Order: sequence, then C-alpha cells, then structure tokens
Amino acid sequence: MAETLTAFGWVVMLSMIISLWVVTIVALKKTLSEEDKKAELITKQGAIESYSPRALSELREWIENHPNDPYREIAVHRYNECVETLKEIDEPFYDWNDSQISDLEKL
Amino acid sequence: MNGGGAFLVIYLALLYLIAVPGLMAETFLGRYTQSGVIGAFKNFLGEGWSEGLGLVVVIVNIGLMSYYAPVIAWTIYYLAHAVLGTFYQPGFDPTAFWAAFSGSPLLVVGLHTLVAVLVGFVLLFGISDGIERVVKWMIPALVVTLSAVAIKGLTLPGAMEGLAFAFNPEWQYMTDANTWIAALGQALFSTGLGWGIALTYGSYLGESDDVPLGGGLITAVGNTSIGLLAIFTVFPAVFAFGLEPTTGAELTFVSLVSIFPSMTGGYIWGLLFFLGFLFATYSSGLGITEVGVTTVKEETRLTRTQSVIAVVGAWWLLGIPSAYSSEFLGWMDFMFGNFGLPLATLMILILVGWVIDSKRARILDLNHNSDVYIGSYWDPIIKYVIPTVMVFIMGYYFATNIEDPRAISGLALMAGLTIGSVLLMQFIRRGKTNEPALTPGGD
Repeated sequence: MAETLTAFGWVVMLSMIISLWVVTIVALKKTLSEEDKKAELITKQGAIESYSPRALSELREWIENHPNDPYREIAVHRYNECVETLKEIDEPFYDWNDSQISDLEKL
Repeated sequence: MNGGGAFLVIYLALLYLIAVPGLMAETFLGRYTQSGVIGAFKNFLGEGWSEGLGLVVVIVNIGLMSYYAPVIAWTIYYLAHAVLGTFYQPGFDPTAFWAAFSGSPLLVVGLHTLVAVLVGFVLLFGISDGIERVVKWMIPALVVTLSAVAIKGLTLPGAMEGLAFAFNPEWQYMTDANTWIAALGQALFSTGLGWGIALTYGSYLGESDDVPLGGGLITAVGNTSIGLLAIFTVFPAVFAFGLEPTTGAELTFVSLVSIFPSMTGGYIWGLLFFLGFLFATYSSGLGITEVGVTTVKEETRLTRTQSVIAVVGAWWLLGIPSAYSSEFLGWMDFMFGNFGLPLATLMILILVGWVIDSKRARILDLNHNSDVYIGSYWDPIIKYVIPTVMVFIMGYYFATNIEDPRAISGLALMAGLTIGSVLLMQFIRRGKTNEPALTPGGD
C-alpha cells in the first residue's frame, strides 16, 4: 500500500480539482450571470433573440441545404422569429452588432 | 480498489467524453419535447413498440431507486444515532451495531417505508413547490457539511496516506476490463446520465432556458464534484486512524462510525457527515422518483398524487429484498448500475444521434437560447463516439468475463428489458397508428 502521494498522484489529484471544482465554479458563475442578463432583458424589452450570430448563420445554412427535411418548417419558423425579434429589440442578448442585424432577412 | 488514480483518470476521460455531451443530449430531448421519458420517444418515433425504448429507461430508473431507497433508510438510522450519541457510548462496537441493524427486518423495512413516505410527500407538491424548494437549500448545506468534515480529516496526522490510496495511479489497472466497466458505471451513476432525470427536468425548462451549460456541463461536473469532496471526506480520516479502506456500506456505516468517537469533537463531525450524506441521498431520491412520476402522469389517466403513489409504491415493493439483504442490494447495484444504466443511456443517445440526428438537434435546438455555443464536434460524439465507446467497454467486459455468471445475467437483463418493454408497449398500443409529432412540445 502506498504511503505518500507520488508525483503522478499529485498530478491526478490536481487534475481532478481543476477539472471538477474549478470548472463547476466557473460554469456556475457564467450561467448565473447569463440567465440574470436574459431575465433582465426579457423584463425590460419583452423578448430576447434566441440564437447567437454563429448559431443563426449555421441554422440558415442548414435550412438552405435541407429543402426537404421534415424539420425544415420548424427551423424556418425559429429562424424568422429570431430575425424578427432582433429587428424589434433595442439590446440583443448575444454579441450582435447593428450591421449584422440590418443584413438579416427573413426566409 | 480499481487502481486508485488510474480509475480516476479513466473516469475523468469518460466524464468529459460521454457524460457531459450525453447530458446535453438528454436535457435537449426533454426541453424540445416538453415530455417525460416515454413521451419523448413517442414524439420522434410515434406510438407503439418504440415507446418500449422509453419504458426501458423508466424500468431501469425504478430498479435503481428500489435499492437506492434502503441506502437513504440506513442514513436516516445512522443520523438518528449520531444525534443520540450512540456511537460515543463506552463499549460501542460498530460492526455488531451494523449487523444488528441490517439483520432486523422490522427496522430495515420500516425505515424503507419511511423513506417512501418522505420522498412521496415532497413529490406531491410538484417540481417548483416540492423538489426545488427542498433541494435549493439541501445542496449548499451538503457542500458545507462535507467540506467541514473533509477539512477536519485532512488535518489529521496520517491523512496523506488516504490521499495516496485514492490518487496514486496503479497503471496496470488501465488494461483491466473490470476497471473500465466500473468507471463507465460510475460515470453514468454519479452524473445521472441515462436515468431519465435530465430528460425529465429538461421537460420543465422554458424556451429561453439554457441547456448545454446548465443541463450538460454543470450537471455532470457538479455531481462529480460532490463525489470528489466525498473522497477528501472519507479516505484521509480512514487512513489517519489506521483502518483498512473498505467499500460500500461497510466503509460508511462501520469504518467511519468507528472513527468519529476517536476524533476531537467527534460528535459534531459524525453529525455533520451523516446530515450531509442524508442530504445527498434524499435529494437524489427525489430526482430519481420524479422521472417515473412525470411519465406515469403523462401516459395514464392518473393524477399527480396517484402517480406519486404508484411510482413510490412500485420501488418500495421492489426494494423490500434490497432493504432486507445487502447481498441482494449489491447484486441489484451490479446489474442495474453496470448493465441497465448503460442500456438506458444508449436508448436515449441513439434516439438523439440517429433518429433525430445529432447535427439537426444541435443546430435546431441545443444552441437555441444557450449560454455557450456548441460546435459541430458534438455531432459525431453523440452519433458515433459515445455508442462505440460504451459498446466497446461492455463488449470488452463480456469477452473477458464470459464465464462469470454475473456477466451472463447482465446480458440477459439487457436483452430481457429491451424485448419485454418493446413487446409490452406494442401490445398496449395495438391498433393505434399515430405518427411522430416532430414539433417542439409534441403538438
């Protein structure tokens, strides 16, 4: 039976602490602040956009590449809803800039 | 017991490779369909045999709770004796005390019944007024109590030996199939992946709620963080007092109980430990049982109260043998933890990866209102990597333990559960030809 913590033992222990405790604290801090921001924006302006610039552009690309997909209608609805909201609200939740928003068009 | 740090290295790899993305998939399924386990399968595959795949998850969940409830019962009994100061009486023998308790059918079945009442009572109030109200103070209290005991344990002379036992890797275990199957079982058991809990809680999330960070990463690493805290709580103290590191019930209810009387302020440490342990087990019991309650309420004409009684009654009845015999409990844990849970996980992940298609699920819904963007790396992890890794680990285990009757029983359990559930749902829904709904919320 080992009596002292070996160098590998230290590495495993510290890796566990970083991968679990540190990650949990950082993730909790992020999600709590993001959800607070969402709640604040929804209260202030009634709605927030539902996709980030990267996620919305990926959704558009997917819609264009899958014209016969059974989920296309839902995807188009969600895309248009997000574009509409972005054009209506004053302050977006994600990192959208004015030129990105003005370039958006509903499908 | 499985190579110390080597086990933890495998566990950590499986946590990030399987549990984190898998929990994102499971939570997505619940939020998108706004349904419990069977309803989620029905939403994408229609009524009939396919609902049997959801039923597998519910049966595994009830099977797991049937032997988890007696553990809550033991904790209640030991907490009561920690309060009464029984462990500090002159001549107290923890082994004899455990034997007397576990050998008393009246006590163990009586306390098992008490657990059923306590779990059922909170669930009658629903998610927000029941579970949320209890868990939101129980979890912080659990962290505080276990941290206090861990700090005390780490400051004891000889504590380092406990850390060496837990963290020093014995690399030869890395090639042992038993280590991998145990790490896989632990990764699923400790994070809750495949239990249907994430799916059920996801079904109560609103459209603007985040899934990947809260439902995936925090659920997986947060649950495991408590496990790491438990390592720091238990092993330094066990080694500081020169005890052999045992496992399971013996470690908690015999070894640790013999330590507290020798510690300065042992009454407080013992009380805090069992209080924290009760918070951990009881809050888990609420989440586990809610899976069945939500599903039964959705799929039958029963009210929530009747559904709570039906589900709690089912695991109470099924749990009597586990409450009565710790050997039977160990067998149930081996079967459901190592085979039932991976099977339930595979059902959920195959639905997301292959039926819905992980790329479509991610683009359409996972990144919808998410706090972090999930990239395309997630798609092949759900579709190929997780099923392959899980099937490989289970296959490796079966190949190297082919003559072990427990391996055969595990295989039989997986096959029996799948075939039986599919046939049962096909029989129940005979004559119905409803198509999948596909839309969010199932309507």
